[in-house]
Amino acid sequence: MTISSNRRHVFVTAVFLGLAVVASFLLTSNGHSALVLGLMTALFVIGVSVLRIPGLHTNHPVVARGALTVAALVATLIATYFLSATTNFNLATGAAMSIVLLGLSFLTGASGQISLGNSAFMGVGAFAMAIWANHHTTTPIVVSLLIAVIAGALVGLLLGLPATRLRGPYLAGMTLAFAVAFGAILASFNSWTGGDAGLQLPTAVTPPHWLTSLYQSGTSLLTTNTMWLADISIVATGVAFFFMGNLFASRTGRAMRLIRDNDVAAELVGVSLPRTRVIAFVISSAYAALGGALWTLINNSVSPSTYSFALSITILSLVVIGGIGTIPGALIGGLIYAYSSAVISWIVTQTGLKPQGNFASQMNGIIFGVLLIVVMLFAPMGISGAVLRAWRKRRSHLRG
Amino acid sequence: MDSFLTSRIVTDILSGLTNGVVYGLVALSLVLVWRSTRILNFAQGAMPMFATYLGMGLLSYHFGYWACVVISIAAGFAIGGVTERVLVRGLYGKPEINPIVVMVGFLIVLEAVAAAIWSTLPRGLPSPFSPIDWQIGGKPFAMSDFSVYEIVTALVVMTAVALLFRFTKLGLQLRAAALAPEVSRLLGVRVGRMLTLGWMLSTAVGTITTVLVASNFFTGLTPQVMDGIFAFGFIAAAVGGLDSPVGAIISGVVMGIILQFVGDFLNSNAIILVALAILIVSLMVRPNGIFTKSTARRV
Repeated sequence: MTISSNRRHVFVTAVFLGLAVVASFLLTSNGHSALVLGLMTALFVIGVSVLRIPGLHTNHPVVARGALTVAALVATLIATYFLSATTNFNLATGAAMSIVLLGLSFLTGASGQISLGNSAFMGVGAFAMAIWANHHTTTPIVVSLLIAVIAGALVGLLLGLPATRLRGPYLAGMTLAFAVAFGAILASFNSWTGGDAGLQLPTAVTPPHWLTSLYQSGTSLLTTNTMWLADISIVATGVAFFFMGNLFASRTGRAMRLIRDNDVAAELVGVSLPRTRVIAFVISSAYAALGGALWTLINNSVSPSTYSFALSITILSLVVIGGIGTIPGALIGGLIYAYSSAVISWIVTQTGLKPQGNFASQMNGIIFGVLLIVVMLFAPMGISGAVLRAWRKRRSHLRG
Repeated sequence: MDSFLTSRIVTDILSGLTNGVVYGLVALSLVLVWRSTRILNFAQGAMPMFATYLGMGLLSYHFGYWACVVISIAAGFAIGGVTERVLVRGLYGKPEINPIVVMVGFLIVLEAVAAAIWSTLPRGLPSPFSPIDWQIGGKPFAMSDFSVYEIVTALVVMTAVALLFRFTKLGLQLRAAALAPEVSRLLGVRVGRMLTLGWMLSTAVGTITTVLVASNFFTGLTPQVMDGIFAFGFIAAAVGGLDSPVGAIISGVVMGIILQFVGDFLNSNAIILVALAILIVSLMVRPNGIFTKSTARRV
C-alpha cells in the first residue's frame, strides 16, 4: 500500500466518522442517546474502513473477519433501536435460530454428517438455562448462557461417541431417535423440568439503566425490553458466527472438509477420523444449545412441546434452503424463520383459505416440505449457493 | 397352569410379541429399500400411511373392510413405484445426505397433505376381529382375535418375502441387481426396474403394517400414526443390521418383548429411553448390526 492511498483511506474514514456523529445528533432526541448512537456509528465506520484496507483478507484473515463481524453487528444493533417491538422479537428469535442453523450447517458442510436431533439439543440448552436460573437467581446472563452451552456440549459428547463409528444414515436415524425420545427424557425428570407446563424464568430480563434512558420517558416497557433481548441475541449470534468463521478456515476445519470429501484419504494423511467427527458433533450440539437457551431468555419461559421432532425438521429445512455448509446460508435461514409465520399467514389470506381450516393449519408443513425436496433436487447448495454461483459466473463473464 | 398363562410375565411376552411383529415388519420394509438402493427411507412410515388413507377412504363408499385392505396394498405398490421413479431416481450416486433430506421432506409433505385432506383426528377402522383379550379361568389372557390376526398376517408376509427372494427367478434378479448392478445389467437383468420393484415391495409391506396398526381399536388411523413405530422399526433394523432381513425381524420381535417388560416394570417413559440405549450400545459394539456378516465398504 502506497503512502498516498493510505492517506486517502484515513481521510475518507475521517469524513465518514464526522458525518456519522452529525447524523446521530440530528436523528436522536437527547444528548445521551446521541452519544451512544454516535459511538456505535463510529464503530461501524471504523469496522468498514478496516475491511477496505487492501490485502487484509489474505494477510490477516482473523482481523478481517473481526472487522466484518463488528460492522454487521453494530449496524444491526443500531437498527433494533428504530424497529418495532414485534419486529425486534422476530429478529431475536430468528437470530437465535441462525446460531442453531450454523451449528448444523457446519456439521453437515464440514464433516458430511447429518443430525436430526437438533430440536433435542436446543431443548437441552433451553432447559439447562431455565433450571440454572431457577436455582441461582443472581447468575449473570452471560454465565447462564455459557452453562447451557456446556450442557449441550456434554450431551453432544455422550451421543457423539457412538456417532464416531457411524456413517450418514445411521447417525441420522440415531439422532432422530434422540429427538423422538426427548419428550420422554424431560418427563422422566419431572421435578426438574416442570412437566408439561415447563418452566418460567424467576425474573424477567430487563435492560440496564443506560439503555432505557436512551428512549424518551414514557416509552413502553415492551419496546425497551424486546430491544434489549434482540440485542443480546444479536451479539451472541455475532460471537458465534465470528468463532465459526475462524474454525471453518482453521486446520480443524480443513480436516473436516477432507473427511467429508474422502474419509479414507483423510485417514491416510493422518487426520484422526473419530476425534474430528466428535469435535464437529459436539460443536454443533453446543450451538443448538445456545440457540435454545436464547429462546428461553427471549420467551422468559420454556415449554417441552416446543422441542418436538417437528422442530428438527424445520431446522433441517432452513439449513437446506439457506445453503448447507455456508455461513451466509445460516443467516438467510434464520431470517426466513423469523418471518415465515407472517409470510404463511399472508399466503393463507391471499388464497382465501379458512384460517382455522385443515389446509391453512398444514400450510407450514406443505411449504417447507416441498421447498426441502425441490431445493435438494435442483439446487443442493440452497439460496446462498445459487447466489454465489450466479455472482461468480457474472464476474468471470465480465473478465472475458 | 391357568394362573401361569395369565401371569404377568406371560402377559408381557405375548403383548410384546404382538408389538414386536409390527416393529419387525417396519424394520423389514426399511431393509428391503436399503438393500436395493442403499437409501434409508425416512418416509417409510408416511408413504404407507398415505396409501392406507387412500384405500380406507373407500369405506365411506360402502366398500367392505377386506376390499379396502386390498386397495390400500395396491396403492402402496403404486406409491412406492412412483416415488422411486420420480423422487429417488435422481439421487443415486449423490452424497449420502441428499436422499436423507429429500425423504425427510417427503415425510413432512405427506403428513401435512394427509392432515389437510383427512384432518388429524383419529379415524377408527371397522376391524373384523375383536380386540378384547381372551379369558382363562375368569382372568384375561393377553391374546385376542385381533392379535392373532396381527401375528398371522406378519408371519405370512415375512414368509412370502423370504420365498420370493429365495425361490423365484424374480427374487434372484432382485438380489443380483442390489449386490452387483453392473454385472447383472450385462447378464440381462433390468436393474432400474428391479430397484423400482424393491421400493414397491417395501411400501406394500409397510402398508400391510399400517393397516394392522390402524385397524387396532385403540389407535385408529391418523397422519402421524407411524411416527413412533417408525422410530422403533428403525432401531430394530439398525440393531439387526440394515442388510439382514432376518436380523431385522428377529430384533424387532425381541425389542417388542423387552420394551413391553420395560413399560410394565418401570414406566412408559422408560420405553423409548431403553430403546435409545439399546441402539447406542449396539451401534458402539457392532456399528453394522448384529446379523450382518461382512463389514467391508466400497471406497
